[in-house]
Amino acid sequence: MPVIMIAYYVITAFLLVVLVWNFVREKGRRGDLALYLLVMIPLLLRLLRWK
Amino acid sequence: MEMRASFAKKDAPVKAALAAGMLAFVLWGGLPLVRHRRHDMPIVKGPGVTAVLRLSEFSPGLEGTTADTNIFVLQGREPGGKALLMGDTHSNEPEGMLSAVIVIENGIVEKGTLYVIPVFNNSGSRATRPGDGYPLYFDIPTDWGTRRFRFGNRDASPLDQWPDPDVYIHYPERQLLSYIDVRNTNRTWPGRADGPLMERVTFGAMELMRREKIDVAIDIHGAETMFPVTNCIVAPESSVKIATLAALTVKAREGFENHVEPSPSGFRGLSHREIGDHGPSLPFLLEAPIPFLDQPTGPKTVQFLLDGKDPFLLSLSKKKKLFVPYDETGWPLEKRVGQNLSVTLEIFRQFTKKTADRPIALRGVPRYADVVKEGVGKFLADPSKAAAGGVVRN
Repeated sequence: MPVIMIAYYVITAFLLVVLVWNFVREKGRRGDLALYLLVMIPLLLRLLRWK
Repeated sequence: MEMRASFAKKDAPVKAALAAGMLAFVLWGGLPLVRHRRHDMPIVKGPGVTAVLRLSEFSPGLEGTTADTNIFVLQGREPGGKALLMGDTHSNEPEGMLSAVIVIENGIVEKGTLYVIPVFNNSGSRATRPGDGYPLYFDIPTDWGTRRFRFGNRDASPLDQWPDPDVYIHYPERQLLSYIDVRNTNRTWPGRADGPLMERVTFGAMELMRREKIDVAIDIHGAETMFPVTNCIVAPESSVKIATLAALTVKAREGFENHVEPSPSGFRGLSHREIGDHGPSLPFLLEAPIPFLDQPTGPKTVQFLLDGKDPFLLSLSKKKKLFVPYDETGWPLEKRVGQNLSVTLEIFRQFTKKTADRPIALRGVPRYADVVKEGVGKFLADPSKAAAGGVVRN
């Protein structure tokens, strides 16, 4: 795997961690919870190497 | 502090439910894609197959990657010229792959040697097009049951080559192409050994052509009915005479239209341009009309892929907006595959007439009328009945 591809996977993992952290810490705004999860989907699919 | 704790408590079940829903959604949508990517298509080694090579033997940078693919060799009883046949350069144009599979499973080379790469963009054939509702597989009915094939995407999977650049700078001409073309194996010719993965794929084919001194290279595609370069043979200056004779002959003898389009010299990266400019082979690119690829159509179903029938295209045809004749019969797979096979055989015949000391002759491959009458499935072998070691998975 080329170095740039590895770097992109690291960035993806970082973003996913940030989103999960925000999701866990979110209080009250339930609409935002759904939005965090929606944004996570493509990152998760890429990190799993499913899509 | 107490208020925050109470919110957190209240939210916990909601968060758990939402997260579980999201994970279920990811599994529901993702697992079919994983299965598709791992699904290997069996290809039966026909009576004419004498060896099976890997593209990585010509481009070591492909070894161990999903982009590596099989090369079937059909060596003739007598020496002669050499030809390369490629399908699935764009894996959403399956008539090329099916034509190649029919040649592998039925063809016997009498003179010369034929190299066949049925799934040229192996990575693209294991991906799908986001947002277009493409089917992941299609089944061809045969006398013995149905045979399943992967239906892929035009470009390689980003799982194999990522990220895309802002602009793809073609090698070696440095022409600026669309960013997505870095994953398009009909823009990355002639490729390089250490370039992006798809450049390594085209480099492998170029090395094959250079090392084996291939005379004729045929890259089989499909094109939209609304795209002007459709139902044609695209050929550069070096191949245009043979292409014209092949087009005229199939029209006169077999009754179907397949005109010749010149390969533009200023548009880089295409097989019909770069193969001739960087190697010894005469390139030809075949385009059969595939209504499935057009944009203003109904749902992209397997049935539509197979029969090419669509009411929106029919309406557009009546308004003369299409570049091919189109009526209620659509543009079925049988016509597209039959056309490819007849034009391929005719190119070999015309090459042999022109270059008598390097003949390419094969038998057993059906022509247009045979495929239209009998169907594609008639010429597909049953992998379960193949001899031991007689099936190659691609």
